[in-house]
Amino acid sequence: MPGLQPRAKILIIEDDRKMANALISGIEAAGYEVVAASSAEEGFFLVHSLQPDLILLDLTLPHRNGLDILRQIRREGVDVRVMILTSHSAEQDRVEGLESGADDYLGKPFSFPELIARIRALLRRVLPPAFLGPIQIGDLKIDVNERTAFRADLRLDLTPREFDVLLYLTENRGRTVSREMLAKDVWRETSRFTPIDNVIDVQVARLRKKIDDPFPVKLLQTVRGLGFSLREPQT
Amino acid sequence: MKIRRPTNVRTRLTLWYVGILAVLLVLYIALVFIFQYALLQRQIYHDEIVDVETVEGLLYFDQNGVLQLQQNYHSHPPSHLLVDRLMEVRDSSGTILYQSDNLGGQTLGGFPHPGEGVGSFDERIVRTSDGTRVSLISHVHVMQQRNMLIRLGYSLTPLFERMLQFLGLLLVALPVALLLAGYAGYEIAKRALNPLEQMAARAEQITENNLHDRLEIENAHDELGQMARVFNQLLERLDQAFAQLKRFTADAAHELRTPLASLRTVGEVALQEASGPDEYREAIGSILEETGRLNQTIEGLLLLARAETSAPASKGQLVYLPELVTEILQMLGALLEERNIRVIEDNSELRRRSVRADRILVRAAFLNVLHNAVKFSPNDSTLFVKFAMVGATEEFAEVIVQDEGPGLALGEYDLVFDRFFTGCREETLSKGGSGLGLSIAKLALERSGGRIYFDKQSTQGARCVIRLPLSEQDPEVRA
Repeated sequence: MPGLQPRAKILIIEDDRKMANALISGIEAAGYEVVAASSAEEGFFLVHSLQPDLILLDLTLPHRNGLDILRQIRREGVDVRVMILTSHSAEQDRVEGLESGADDYLGKPFSFPELIARIRALLRRVLPPAFLGPIQIGDLKIDVNERTAFRADLRLDLTPREFDVLLYLTENRGRTVSREMLAKDVWRETSRFTPIDNVIDVQVARLRKKIDDPFPVKLLQTVRGLGFSLREPQT
Repeated sequence: MKIRRPTNVRTRLTLWYVGILAVLLVLYIALVFIFQYALLQRQIYHDEIVDVETVEGLLYFDQNGVLQLQQNYHSHPPSHLLVDRLMEVRDSSGTILYQSDNLGGQTLGGFPHPGEGVGSFDERIVRTSDGTRVSLISHVHVMQQRNMLIRLGYSLTPLFERMLQFLGLLLVALPVALLLAGYAGYEIAKRALNPLEQMAARAEQITENNLHDRLEIENAHDELGQMARVFNQLLERLDQAFAQLKRFTADAAHELRTPLASLRTVGEVALQEASGPDEYREAIGSILEETGRLNQTIEGLLLLARAETSAPASKGQLVYLPELVTEILQMLGALLEERNIRVIEDNSELRRRSVRADRILVRAAFLNVLHNAVKFSPNDSTLFVKFAMVGATEEFAEVIVQDEGPGLALGEYDLVFDRFFTGCREETLSKGGSGLGLSIAKLALERSGGRIYFDKQSTQGARCVIRLPLSEQDPEVRA
């Protein structure tokens, strides 16, 4: 939905060039204005001159620890959201990061759709929550309150878990949802060493059987290597 | 005040040894000296009594009525003590009737006490006027109807001199004996500790590179031999641990390299051969799938590291296993439905008791075991999960997970818990997996004081048995 609101500015502080470049192009493609800094000092300077809405902060930077910068930003009372990206994903690192004033924490390697979803969520925090009325995608109608779904006015007989998956996909319609996001947000599975990818695949396949198979227009798509996406096919 | 303690055991041992020996010897010398002194003194008294008896027979009054002693007795018996014999005879009024010449006019013992020497031999030690100490014996003797008090004594000076000599000799011998004993002790300690030094020298040369070297055991039954044996066992365990670590590192490298290799190949081939966006898409998708595999392996390694350094089970949380299993089965629900696997849970025997453990680790363990069971169950089969309390005092919770799948091959019962073991059969390989799941489960359960094994008695399907110690106290009764 870029264009409807002024483009949010995102500052990436990341010393790995390759990662930074990938992030820049990916996030720009999602409709944000992106600036990258490769060192703590540069990043700190840009925080003041650029006044970004959100900072993606790598913790292992040359010369200065990412947490130092975070604490300094918080001390100075700069109004900016901060998401930490780091390969240290032990519980205590996470806690320390959040206690130092981070708004969110994402362990490397992360799935890019999840990053975008989280950026969106962080920037949306100031806006009212999504409305809870019936949602429509093509001829698929979902009533969140009633927890019912219809396709071409036919009621779909979904299990609670299937409905949760469908709802999650609907909330992220038009975008790709990774298996990690589903595991975390629908299955509430926090451990990252969990072989539940096949559970997710089976669940999505069963959902597809119910919402897509009987109908000519397929809404639920598998994006190989990324995850799933619910959208109206472009003609 | 600070006394510098000798640093080596040998000197310390010797010093202790010499010290204790010195104390014992001094006590010994004191005892011997006192005993000897008492003995000699008794001997003197005894001699004196015999002497008094002799003297009684030798005393006579001469023509002038003066008391005399027959001197011809001098040479018989040839006792040198006789020369030193001091004697004085008084009548009942105390008048001196006779004095031996060697008294030189001094009196012996002064004026008689009343009743002195009557009917017995009185012993005492007196001092003559020239200061000589005399062991004195008094006895009343009746001669020609006259009571005569015979006092007979010997100077104690020679006894003192001899005792002093004796003591001197003992005291001179003491340091010599101590020196000799100290030297001997030092040498013995050296010989006794010698193997220890050799062992230390040998052990010093053992590094991680030659952990297979062992100490020599000269005598397996003595203390040093035992120590060497224990030390060798320690080396053995270290050796094994190191070998395991090396193997693990090699395996891990291999497991990480395999997906990397396919990543690289897929990427290279795509760049060279792919002709359109669909093919690129396909290649990138495949690459991302491989990174997922890579990531899973790394997460598995991190979980292993967590299990290896996990806190003791006492610090864990209370976990009610049926609840945990139900939660996991719900998560795996789609798989169960899809494959039409029926799960029969029986927790009637657990009586709502919990275990105390790191929940994350135990959950990972059960997730892996249950996921495996589901993975290998054929379609339309049944999965049994039975909870029970076992052990002599019912101190363990036991969970049996029985599937109707192909079961394990004969040699695989222990191998399945090895890191990166993924089975050799084709049907197993095709199921994929990082090969870390069961080794994480094993480590996690063992760290929580439990164990896991596959029951070899199981004839149909695999029967996985998990045991965890039940928590001592169960604060709340679960609703």
